[in-house]
Amino acid sequence: MPVSNQNLQLSDMRKLISQLLARVDGVYGILITDRDGVPLLKATNEKVPELATRPGFLSTFGMAADQGGKLGLGKNKFIVCLYSNYQVVHLNKLPLVVTFIASSSCNTGHILSLEEHLEPLVCDLKCAVNGDA
Amino acid sequence: MGCCYSCKEDLNSQSGEVNERTHLLVDPVSNNTAIQRVHSDDFIAQYPNSLPKKSDEQSALNRILQETATNVIDVAALDSHNLEQHEYLERMRHYTQRLGAMGANINLRFKRSENAVGVGGAGAGNLLAPSTLGGSSTSPSGRLHLCLLSDIPAPEKVLAEDHPNPEDLAIISGALEKATKALSDLKVEHREDLVVPFRIP
Repeated sequence: MPVSNQNLQLSDMRKLISQLLARVDGVYGILITDRDGVPLLKATNEKVPELATRPGFLSTFGMAADQGGKLGLGKNKFIVCLYSNYQVVHLNKLPLVVTFIASSSCNTGHILSLEEHLEPLVCDLKCAVNGDA
Repeated sequence: MGCCYSCKEDLNSQSGEVNERTHLLVDPVSNNTAIQRVHSDDFIAQYPNSLPKKSDEQSALNRILQETATNVIDVAALDSHNLEQHEYLERMRHYTQRLGAMGANINLRFKRSENAVGVGGAGAGNLLAPSTLGGSSTSPSGRLHLCLLSDIPAPEKVLAEDHPNPEDLAIISGALEKATKALSDLKVEHREDLVVPFRIP
């Protein structure tokens, strides 16, 4: 029984971010990871580049946000990286990081507007991660 | 460290974050005793208990070193951390277990969020539908706000939708005409006086 309950819960959470993925045209993947790039939840489609989902790539944001916070401009909230083929948006929810991988022509504002829909989920996931310590 | 203290210091110190105004030494007393030791050996001889211990000095120095390292922007150290494969897998499994054990709390929030976002593809055919992404937004309290004109992710999909069935349009138009006519025919029938005089002698 606990296993089926667990699967139900996880599938619900996956369903939520899969729906959010479909909301914005051009978004290929949403990943909620910890600061080392280990995924807690993710929803991707076939267009997402595999390299961008590796922990080595995802973990760079946590470090960059930490260093950027020392510039005296306040806490870093998100980083938008535009490449010629893709764009990657990282949201600072440390100890979690939310990463959106999208096409370069995708509307960045729409991606950022997904933050408020993800907020309650991320809050609960944070509790789960903090419970580890 | 600075001459001027602004009121912002209180805010920062409450959050426990290290910033440029954070004191390097948490306990300034140990610093003072170090100065006394240098300048007066006789004083120390009289009060041997007040001699600062080596470990205190060492811990203070370590603290300074650690805080300085925290405050320095060290770009060279960015690529120093690599997660081992087995550690990665183990942590991922651990997270899955933790998420499964989180209970109904997340489900409840999820349902609320799901209702606010609406289920279905982007631009699902209705320009003013609250289920389109831009058409609805949730406040922190979870309340749904609707707006008629909003930015939608894929306008071409909405605009390229097929026209509605002409028969449906005729039915809608007919019903609307009837409703308009019924409303225009609505009259208040006067039967008795609205103002009733009181019987005042």
